[in-house]
Amino acid sequence: MRIWLLIGQSLKAIFANKGRSLLTILGIVIGIGSIIGLVSLGAGVRVSISDRILALGATNLTILPGAVAGAQSLDPTRTPSQTRGFTLSTSTLTEKDMLSLADRKQHPHIKYVSGEITSSTVAETKTGDKRFPVLGVSPDYFAINSLTARQGRLFTQNHIDQKSPVLVMGNELAKELYGNENPIGNTLEIEGTGYRVIGIFNPADETGLANPNNQAYIPYTAAAETFKSPNFNFIYVQATDEDVVPALKREIRKTLMKNHKITNSSLADFTVISSGDVLSAVDSITNMLTSLLAGIAAISLLVGGIGIMNIMLVSVSERTREIGLRKAVGARTVDILNQFLIEAVLLTLTGGILGIGFGILIGEISEVYLGFTPIVTSSTIVLAVGVSSLVGLIFGVYPAMKASRLDPINALRYE
Amino acid sequence: MEYIIEMKGISKIYKTGDEDTVALKDVDLEVRRGEFLAIMGPSGSGKSTLMHILGLLDRLTTGRYFLEGRDVSKLRDGGLAGLRNRRFGFVFQQFNLLPRTSVLGNVLLPTIYGRIKNPRSRAIKLIEEVGLGNHINHKSNQLSGGQMQRVAIARALIMDPAIILADEPTGNLDSKRSLEILDIFRRINAGGSTIILITHEEQIARHADRTIRLLDGEIVSIAERVA
Repeated sequence: MRIWLLIGQSLKAIFANKGRSLLTILGIVIGIGSIIGLVSLGAGVRVSISDRILALGATNLTILPGAVAGAQSLDPTRTPSQTRGFTLSTSTLTEKDMLSLADRKQHPHIKYVSGEITSSTVAETKTGDKRFPVLGVSPDYFAINSLTARQGRLFTQNHIDQKSPVLVMGNELAKELYGNENPIGNTLEIEGTGYRVIGIFNPADETGLANPNNQAYIPYTAAAETFKSPNFNFIYVQATDEDVVPALKREIRKTLMKNHKITNSSLADFTVISSGDVLSAVDSITNMLTSLLAGIAAISLLVGGIGIMNIMLVSVSERTREIGLRKAVGARTVDILNQFLIEAVLLTLTGGILGIGFGILIGEISEVYLGFTPIVTSSTIVLAVGVSSLVGLIFGVYPAMKASRLDPINALRYE
Repeated sequence: MEYIIEMKGISKIYKTGDEDTVALKDVDLEVRRGEFLAIMGPSGSGKSTLMHILGLLDRLTTGRYFLEGRDVSKLRDGGLAGLRNRRFGFVFQQFNLLPRTSVLGNVLLPTIYGRIKNPRSRAIKLIEEVGLGNHINHKSNQLSGGQMQRVAIARALIMDPAIILADEPTGNLDSKRSLEILDIFRRINAGGSTIILITHEEQIARHADRTIRLLDGEIVSIAERVA
């Protein structure tokens, strides 16, 4: 009962001084606005990155040479040119590894497997020399990455077995090298070996890590000879089913460790990662960045809170007589305390609600400039409302206590 | 004789720095139910202090205070606030109305802190009784001094208190307005309420049933009105 009457009194006081009340809550509006804006933008960025990672395929696994966080990949004796990409000279992933994974009897949950020898070459184009990636792969690679021929054909196991110097390329690269001319049948020289162009891909999605439209692909057996590097930089595996991925990861580790004669798993010279692993790594990074940004924005909320406290203190001293009168007509100390606390919370709550609108606006503007769609969740809004009320409560306590402790006689005499 | 207020050996000592200021010295006072009592004295005589103690706005240093037979000397904040709300109506020299608040809002103020039946209709009735029936929704700062004091009186009456405490209620008004205000007090008194009025003006005190004179914190005389 009494609380509603007190809320009414607080509302009257706030509306009696509209201009000042608005200025008072500006700090809270900006604080909550930036938190909402940054958090929703962070969520938007996370989803956008997650989408790109999931475009790699939830059933896809990548095997990298070396232990990613281990000492091998950080060998200081390697020169930068040797460590370009994932080391050319020291990869431990062999053809034997790929073939043992391709064994359906041993690995029934593997649908496709392909190694990749990663290199690049330079070719003349109409606009000058161009360096582009050349990947030595097996036909499974096309299935894993959903690459299909728009023109000509893709190479087959037969080309692998024959070490045939044939080449398939992305449509963008073909356009750059040959313009409107038909590329099929042309010969492209790579490190002294002539490769015949037999196919051009349909445009494919960028995965965020590579653009297949701008790369050339040759049989890995031919690549091993041309680039004089028999080992793979990566082995890609596609599982039959998303559910088997974790078990498959363990199976692959077991097989490769046996191949490499390693018994202690902490000494493994390769790493198996799934897109889920990448996703959780990216998630933890974006989460960290979002909290960092929100933390910085929270400082503005703190400043806003101090502003509220300041104005409330001024208001208490201006209303000293009023407080004295209220006590004379029967207000208890706790009634005065509550009235000023309610006033502070109502102010910051209003600031919080306006701030939510402001934050959504920030998100919308950022969308135009940054291209990420901000995501405002109901939990963000509940949090904003809660935090702004809490700021009011915390920064209202001191002025409210000051008000409630005024001696009615002195307050009534106050000029 | 029934006393609504009985005070025995009341003293009030203020500590200011190292020195003690004695504002009231061993005061004994009885107030009869339904009487119109005036308290007079020059400034510094302790009459305001006595008024604050009577109205439970200030605590006494020594002595005992019985309000309607109940010892209120040791009550805490909540209990004192409740009694101020229910048993006392205050009228101040400075009116002390809430600015930017309507006449009705001002009169209703005490009902925030204590419940009564139909506060709105009672407030409107009281506003009409003090002659401001067509000012109900005026803001307090749009009123003249005399009108403001009438609002303050209506506010003092809203909780139907037993005692009206008025501290120089005519101090800021001209003699015509003062007489009007006094007339209202007399009507309230005729309705059965006890009125304690503090003043330093003889003409005002003349209207009281009894006049108590204070000097240097002590009661120097108690005089009944000669009819």
